[in-house]
Amino acid sequence: MKVYPTIGMETHVELKTESKMFCACKVEETESPNTNLCPTCLGLPGSLPVPNKKAIEMITLLGISLDCEITKNGMFHRKNYFYPDLPKNYQISQFDFPIGVNGKLQIVSENELSDIEIERVHMEEDTGKSIHAGGGRIDTAEYTLLDFNRSGIPLVEIVTKPVISNAKQAVSYIEELRQLVIDIDISHAKLELGNLRFDANISVASKDEKELGVKVEIKNMNSLKSLERAIDYEIERQGDLKEKNEKIVQETRHWDEKLEKTISMRTKEGSADYRYFSDPDIPNMNLTKDFIDSVVKNPPELPKDRRERYVASGLSLEEASHIVKSDKWVRELFEDMKINVENIRSAYLWVTGELLGQLRKLNIENKPEHLRGDNFGELISLVDEGEVSSSTGKEILSELIQRDFSPKDYAESNNLIQENSEEYINNLILKVLDSHHEIVERIKLGEDKLVGFLVGEVMKESSASLNPSLVRELIAKETK
Amino acid sequence: MVEINNITIKKAHEGLKDKSFSSLELTEEIFKVAANSESVLHAHLVLMHDEAVKKAKETDSRIAKDGMIGELDGIPLSIKDNMNLKGYGTTCSSKILSNYISPYDATVVKRLRENGTIFVGKTNLDEFAMGSSTENSAYGPTKNPWDPDCVPGGSSGGSAAVVSVGSALGSLGSDTGGSIRQPASFCGVVGFKPTYGTVSRFGLIAFASSLDQIGPITKTSEDAKIIYNAISGYDSKDATSLNLKSASLPEDSSAKVGIVKELMGEGIADDVKSEVERVIKILEEEGHQVSEVSLPMTKMAISIYYLIAPAECSANLARFDGVRFGLRKDGNTSYEMSDKTRAEGFGDEVKRRILLGTYALSAGYYDAYYGQALKARNQVVNEFKEVFKSVDYLISPTTPSTAFKFGEKTTNPLEMYMSDLCTIPANLAGLPAISIPTGIDDNGMPFSIQLMSPELTDISLLNFSSYIEKIIAFDQVPSKWRKEP
Repeated sequence: MKVYPTIGMETHVELKTESKMFCACKVEETESPNTNLCPTCLGLPGSLPVPNKKAIEMITLLGISLDCEITKNGMFHRKNYFYPDLPKNYQISQFDFPIGVNGKLQIVSENELSDIEIERVHMEEDTGKSIHAGGGRIDTAEYTLLDFNRSGIPLVEIVTKPVISNAKQAVSYIEELRQLVIDIDISHAKLELGNLRFDANISVASKDEKELGVKVEIKNMNSLKSLERAIDYEIERQGDLKEKNEKIVQETRHWDEKLEKTISMRTKEGSADYRYFSDPDIPNMNLTKDFIDSVVKNPPELPKDRRERYVASGLSLEEASHIVKSDKWVRELFEDMKINVENIRSAYLWVTGELLGQLRKLNIENKPEHLRGDNFGELISLVDEGEVSSSTGKEILSELIQRDFSPKDYAESNNLIQENSEEYINNLILKVLDSHHEIVERIKLGEDKLVGFLVGEVMKESSASLNPSLVRELIAKETK
Repeated sequence: MVEINNITIKKAHEGLKDKSFSSLELTEEIFKVAANSESVLHAHLVLMHDEAVKKAKETDSRIAKDGMIGELDGIPLSIKDNMNLKGYGTTCSSKILSNYISPYDATVVKRLRENGTIFVGKTNLDEFAMGSSTENSAYGPTKNPWDPDCVPGGSSGGSAAVVSVGSALGSLGSDTGGSIRQPASFCGVVGFKPTYGTVSRFGLIAFASSLDQIGPITKTSEDAKIIYNAISGYDSKDATSLNLKSASLPEDSSAKVGIVKELMGEGIADDVKSEVERVIKILEEEGHQVSEVSLPMTKMAISIYYLIAPAECSANLARFDGVRFGLRKDGNTSYEMSDKTRAEGFGDEVKRRILLGTYALSAGYYDAYYGQALKARNQVVNEFKEVFKSVDYLISPTTPSTAFKFGEKTTNPLEMYMSDLCTIPANLAGLPAISIPTGIDDNGMPFSIQLMSPELTDISLLNFSSYIEKIIAFDQVPSKWRKEP
C-alpha cells in the first residue's frame, strides 16, 4: 500500500562550552567514570544550579541562525521524572518559553533546496549515562552501572514541525544542522561521540487521509545510516500494518543495528506527565536587545549563505553542497584557492577529486600544512592555462603533497612547461608528415584513429613538452 | 570565671577582647550548659566538642598573638541540621539521610568559619524543615526550655532552644513559612528572617526554594545583626542571591508603624492580641505614628503557601532515591529500590507534602492550583508594596498563640499549619521579618511581636527592633538550665 509518511525530528546537540550547564565542572571527554563531578551535577543535597552564560549565548546564536524568534523572557523549568541516571530526578529544561521558536533550516535533499520548519530550540542539561549489564533495559538488566560525567553538560534540543516526508530528507536535515552547529562553532558535533543524538517521530497516512496517523517515536540514534534505515523500515512496517488493517500503536521504538529493525521499548498511553514548573532556583533571564546584539556581533557565515555564494560563483548546487559539508580544512583550502584560481570549478575538482584521492591513497586524513591556496592554486593555473598537461599537473601535486615549492619554478626547472608556439609545432608536424606519407593518405581516407600515432611521433620529435591536444588539433588541420 | 548567664554575642566578644575570659573557657561553659540540658531538651542532634575545643585553643593563641579579633571570633554558634558542614552528617532530621556525610560546606557555614566562629553542634528540626513543633523529627522532638511539656516551635526548634537555654550564643535557622520566627517566639529569643536572596542558600537542603531563607536566632537584635552581617552578601553559587544595595528607613521614634489588621483578628489568641496592643501603646507613648493597615491577601497566605511550598518540595525531595547517597532499601528493580527507600526514609508529614505538591503540579490541575497560587502570590507582593508607601514597618503577633503542648496539634495538620498564619506572608513576599520577645503569658511562656519591613531594609529593621527591645526591656530567661548540677 502506498502510504504518505510524516516525520518530525528532535535533535539533541551537546554544546562545547568550557564548563557544564549549571556548575563549574569541565566539559571534556573523560575515560574514567564518575571523576568529573561536583555536588551540583551529582544532585547532592543543598547544591544549586547557576546557569552558564556562554551556553545561553551559544543557543541564542543557534536560534538566530535558525531564523527563530528569540524569547525575551528566558526561563528554566523542572521536568520531573524518576530515572537513576537523572541525579535530581528532575531535569532542568525549558517549557513554555524556549529560547527560540518558529524558525527554519534550508536543506539540500536529492539536489533540491527546501526549508524545514523549526518549532522550537530549547536549552537543557544532559543526564548521566546508564550501562545496563546483561540486558538492553534497566528492568531486564542484571545490574546497571551509572556514570555521571555527562550529567549537566549543556544540551540544546531542536524540534522540527512534522514536515519531513522521507528518510533522505531527514538525513539531509541532520547533515545540514550538524554543519550549522560546526560553522557557528557551538558543538564538536561528533556523531560517534553522541554530540548529536536524534529521535524521529513517524506516522503514515494513506492518500485520502487528511489527519496524521498514529505517531511512533524512534529514540536516540547517532548515525545517519541508522536514521535512514530506521525511518525506511518504520514506514514499511507501518504501511504493512495499515494494509492488513492492523492497529498502529503509539509507542517508543529503538533501532536495533544488528537485527536491522525497530523494536518496541514502551507503549505510551497518553502523554507522560512531567509536571513542569518554573525552576525556583533560577531567576528569569531577560534576553535584552543588547545581549542579542552582542551575540550576533560578528556573525559566522551560515552553510546556506556559503552554498549560495558558491552557486553564484559558478558551482552547481550539488558541488556547492558537497564543499559546504566537507571537512573544515577542505573548505578552508577551497576558500583559499578561490583567491588564486580563476576558474572556481577547477579549484573544486582539484580539491575534492585529485587531492582527496591522492591523500586517501597515502592514508593521510588531514591536509599537509605546507599545502596552501597559493602553491596549489599556482599549480591549477598552470594546468588551466595549458602550461603543463593535466597528467603532469597530477604528478606535480603528488610532489607538492610531500614538500613545499613553487609549481611554476618546479615545472620550468624540470622542463615540464608545454611548448605552445604554433609555428614551432607546425614545423615539427611538417617534418613528421613528410616521413609518413602512407599514414597521411589513410587518414585522409577516414582512418581517424591514426592521428594519435602521428601525435605521438610529433611529441617524440620535440625537445620540449607539447600540449597534446594542441598537437592533435594542428595535425587534424594538416591532414584534411 | 565566665558568667555566661544570659550572655550575648556582643558581651562575649567584649569579654574575649578584654581577656575577661578565654575562648576555651567560654566554649567549655557552653558545653557544660549543653551537658546539663540536652538529656531533657534534645536540642542538638550532634555536639562537636572536640573540634570546638581545638578551635577555641587556636582562637586563644590568635588573641594572644595579635589581640585584634572579629565580632564572631571564638563565638560558639550552632547550625540547624539542614545546612551542610563538611565532614559531618546533615540529617534534616530524616531517616533518609541518617548516614549521609556532607562533602562540602554551605556558604553560610563557610562564611562563619572565615569569621572565626566555633561550631557547637547541629540542631534538631522538623523533618526537612516541614513542621511547626519539631514533633516531625525522625530523631525525637526538642523540648521547650521554658516548659518541657511544650513544643519549642519549628521547624528550627532546636536552633531556638539552644539559644534560649544558652548551649550556644546564637544559631542559624532556616525560615520557609516562619521556621525561624515561630520557634524563636515560642522560646523567648530573637529570630530574624532576612530579605529573600540576601543570604546564600547554597548548602541549605532545600524545602521550598522560592521561600527558604537562612537567618540567625539570637538573644538580641544586635546579635542577629552581627551574624547577618557575616553570612549575608552575594554568592555566585546561588543564582537567586541578590547583588543589590540595601535601603534604609527611620530607626527611631520618627518611624511610622502599621498594625496589620488581618493579623489582629480571628485566629489570634486574646492574650497574644493584648500583648501586641501593650507594645503598640508603648510605641505610641514614644511618639511613633501608629496606624492600622489592611493586607486582605494575608487571609489567603496559608492556602497559597500550602500549594507553592509542597509543589517545590515534591521536586526538591525527588533526589532522595537511594541511588547515590543516604538510606537505601534494596529492591528487585531500581524503581522498587527507590520506592522502598522513600517509603521507609520519609516521615508522614514529608510524604503528605510530596503528595500535595505532586497533585498540585499534575496535568489538568496545574492551572487550578499551582498556577492560581503563583498569581495570588503576586498579589500578596503588590499589597505589601502598596502598604509600605504609607508606613515604614508593620507590626503583628509572630504566632497566633504562645507555645502549645506536645501532641496538641499532631492529629490535625490544618491546625498545625495555622501556627504560621502571621509569618507566611513575609516569605511569600520575600520580605525581612523579625520576631522579638516582649513578655510572659499566664503559664510562664514567652510572648513575641513580629516586625516586617520592605525588601532590602534588613539593617534598618534590625536596628529598629533593637531600639524596641531597649524600650520594652524584656530580659527573662528560662534560667533553671544554667545552674550547676
